[in-house]
Amino acid sequence: MTQLYETLVLLDNDVVRKDWKQAKAVVKDTITKYDGDLKSCRRWDERRLAYPIKRKNRATYFIAYHGMDTDRIPGFLRDLELNERVLRHMMVKVDDLPEKELELAAEEDGVDFVVEAPPEDDAIEIPEEDENDENDNSDVPDAPPEANADAPAPKADDKA
Amino acid sequence: MKRRVRTTIASKNCDDPVIDYKNTEYLEKFLTPQGQILSRRRTGFCTQCQKQLKTAIKRARHVGLLPFVG
Repeated sequence: MTQLYETLVLLDNDVVRKDWKQAKAVVKDTITKYDGDLKSCRRWDERRLAYPIKRKNRATYFIAYHGMDTDRIPGFLRDLELNERVLRHMMVKVDDLPEKELELAAEEDGVDFVVEAPPEDDAIEIPEEDENDENDNSDVPDAPPEANADAPAPKADDKA
Repeated sequence: MKRRVRTTIASKNCDDPVIDYKNTEYLEKFLTPQGQILSRRRTGFCTQCQKQLKTAIKRARHVGLLPFVG
């Protein structure tokens, strides 16, 4: 008897905007790649994050219920960790599949199911101060040679 | 001296909704405005339920459903 797991995956909204089924396939393919016994996989929610993760304010949550051999789990988690489209993931043990889970997953697989495009405000805006800082840094290397040029000169004179 | 009566949030028998990390509206009741987990004395949970609450809140924090601070 294999243990049942619940895996929650936070996916980048840019992937969902292109094609949400392709985003769902990211989760499904990773589970099947590691011989996971996939029971259900569905889009759980799209919401604002409580704190920014990988410079994103919003993310789409996908939830999957699956069995998996214990030996394959480290590789599976490593794969999710290395995937740039996955903002964060969490895998927990569960006793049973929730009652309505299969119904919801089947409903989502239907042809009529439509997913609204996520809002645009998911990326964190980079402040303009960074550009100024770069300019300031570019000035900094010029300054020390002048200072150094003044400093060693008296020593050279002393030695001479 | 009048004894202060403390109000608890959870019911005494802990038969409220199942403590799940995805049920954020329910979990938020057991956080302070700063995001700290309330003590057992304030929540009214038994030992096992308080432990489940702690685990659920920490899982919710990890996946960005609840804040660590504020």
